[in-house]
Amino acid sequence: MKQKGNYLSVKDSRAIIRYNIKQMKHYEAEKRKPRTLAEYTVPMRDNRNLIEIDSLKTCFFTDNGTVMSVNGVSFDIPKCKIVGVVGESGCGKSVTSLSIMQLVQAPQGQVIEGQIRFNAGDLGQTEDGRDIGYDIAKTPTAEMYRIRGKDITMIFQEPMTSLNPVFTIGYQLDEASFIHNPGISAEDAKAHSIEMLKKVGISMPEHTYASYPHELSGGMRQRVMIAMALVGDPKLIIADEPTTALDVTIQAQILELLKDLQKKQGCSIMLITHDLGVIAEMADEVVVMYAGRVIEKGTAHDIFHNPLHPYTIGLQKSKPMINSDVNEPLYSIPGQVPNPINLPNSCYFKSRCSKCVEKCEGEYPRGVQVSDTHWVCCYLYEEKADAK
Amino acid sequence: MIEQKKDNSVTDSAPVSEEKVTVSSSKDVVLRVEHLKKYFPIATDFFGRPTAYLRAVDDISFTLERGKTIGIVGESGCGKTTLGRTILKLYDITDGEIYFEGNNITGLSKSAMKKYRTDMQLIFQDPYSSLSPRMTVGNIIGEAVRQHNIVPKDEVHDYVLDIMKKCGLRPQFYDRYPHEFSGGQRQRICIARALAVKPKLVICDEPVSALDVSIQAQIINLLKELQTRMGLTYIFISHDLSVVKYITDRIMVMYLGNMMETGDTAGIFRNPLHPYTQALFSAVPVPDPDVKMKRIILEGDIPSPANPPSGCKFHTRCSKCMGVCAAKAPRYVEAEAGHFVACHLYDTEIMNRGDEYDLTPYTPPVESEEGEKTDE
Repeated sequence: MKQKGNYLSVKDSRAIIRYNIKQMKHYEAEKRKPRTLAEYTVPMRDNRNLIEIDSLKTCFFTDNGTVMSVNGVSFDIPKCKIVGVVGESGCGKSVTSLSIMQLVQAPQGQVIEGQIRFNAGDLGQTEDGRDIGYDIAKTPTAEMYRIRGKDITMIFQEPMTSLNPVFTIGYQLDEASFIHNPGISAEDAKAHSIEMLKKVGISMPEHTYASYPHELSGGMRQRVMIAMALVGDPKLIIADEPTTALDVTIQAQILELLKDLQKKQGCSIMLITHDLGVIAEMADEVVVMYAGRVIEKGTAHDIFHNPLHPYTIGLQKSKPMINSDVNEPLYSIPGQVPNPINLPNSCYFKSRCSKCVEKCEGEYPRGVQVSDTHWVCCYLYEEKADAK
Repeated sequence: MIEQKKDNSVTDSAPVSEEKVTVSSSKDVVLRVEHLKKYFPIATDFFGRPTAYLRAVDDISFTLERGKTIGIVGESGCGKTTLGRTILKLYDITDGEIYFEGNNITGLSKSAMKKYRTDMQLIFQDPYSSLSPRMTVGNIIGEAVRQHNIVPKDEVHDYVLDIMKKCGLRPQFYDRYPHEFSGGQRQRICIARALAVKPKLVICDEPVSALDVSIQAQIINLLKELQTRMGLTYIFISHDLSVVKYITDRIMVMYLGNMMETGDTAGIFRNPLHPYTQALFSAVPVPDPDVKMKRIILEGDIPSPANPPSGCKFHTRCSKCMGVCAAKAPRYVEAEAGHFVACHLYDTEIMNRGDEYDLTPYTPPVESEEGEKTDE
């Protein structure tokens, strides 16, 4: 199924569609199989981690070919930490988060490989003292309903489009309480919702409770979204570009609020953004993604003071800084992100990289653990590590 | 007639703008905007006469010299896009004057404006929605060239290829459609389209905010390079302060349709005077985990422009609010050379007359919303 130029021949196109239907049927059937608890639970590698993602592969079967949106991503989200995921659009950061929520658009989108271990803390321990967690990639949908919206919640980018315009804020907040706590009375649910609205700094919670989304401003709506995420007392909040649609001044308010809540609630946050400034401000640990792969991960200090991968370095240099010198032209990474269909098995960044070595022509680098916390996927450092 | 009108306005205008006129006449001024106002009617009475206005642009004046860039900064809803479009006369002007290269274009009809259309161009924010999906790149760029007879008809093809090359587009893209391109390249097409008619003034309405960081840098560099090569003048509308710092010579900070502060870029970044500018600057996240900025967090949201606060429009969110701020709109004073600010704090006339004006710190009469907050 090789592409000639920009267009597919009818024959190729049909072959792709046939292949896609076969694959989609296979994975959908796999999902419908009844599973016992033992089949979808696994021991965690480390009890301190809330989420462990292990060589996750999520792909989309499109009419132009299979897009590997997430191609072997592995990283951990420790308890009570903010993990920032940064990358350009189309690098798979949102798809990773949707895979954690089991919300990838099916049947085109499928998690085809890897584990997502989620330490819910309610499944006990193995004999050697390791917590047992859910493997979200295999967890049946019915079971996922209990986790999603309670233990793992999500804050979306566009607060306007993610709130339902025909229901009041109160109705939408209460809904979460009713679903995850079936015995709760209407009064208790309302009291709980109002408490959550207070928590996110809304000064007139009763008034907001009774209003419709269109009556609120962008910042207020995003606060409501955060309140909604807090209703189930979550262990993990996935914030997918929570401030991109907001003004700088409102962004500062929301980031402050998220940080504050994370400390008070003791939950973890997975913060997805393309703004390096936001990441530096918020995150304890940073994961840099490029074309569906993790290319570098480490603590915020590692990534910002000792960036190793040429892409991370380029990304930081190309960001105009408010306190930088403006006389020299801005650094820009040449070229653009490669086409995600049929990527070759070599470093995806090599055509844009200024530090290419001979080895880069070979297969995709394995990645090196540079220090205890810092991991990078580049031949430049593999050689150094081998030399040691 | 145009000349006459210009003369009148000079003699009528306030002392501040008179000073501006003398300054501007010595240099090569491309655009001069004086007391520009754009009100949108939001309510009408029984006979269809407007009874209430949304003051999107309220009394804006500035001059722009050839080859320079002015940045217009502000939160969403502050009227920066409306200002850009009003300057192009895409909206009818409520009040004020616009001079383009010394000619008053305020009262010109649509057909008379046609002459100026090639001189003033606009680059839009979203390259995905501003290109016609059914036209090839060559047609998109060449359409206006043919329409305005920029070059003889048989040279259009070569001319378009030349413009494409300048904007970093390969010649083989000529027959392709916009959907085949990524965001960065689409924005290059938009830039090529704007520059194809040889404009003198380009209004860039958030040209990079829809793009990724690495592509953003490419486009900023391209805009800068084209400016030096073609002697362009830009009005750069953006909410991203770090980008604005990079590309502009002067900055104008807007809030609810008003100018809050203007000055040269270096001066404003070194010493922001207006409390709003200070808050805006401190809110920008710095990509360094060890830098902990002293952050001024503005409470609440931007008020509705349909019902703006009295006096200084910013006083409801200002940390340095005084009694006088709610009562009296601040004058536009020159705090440093070339650095104007609309704030009572820098108006010596107000600050020295404490007996007449209330200069004590003052918390605005909170609406019910903030009322509960203070109780807690």
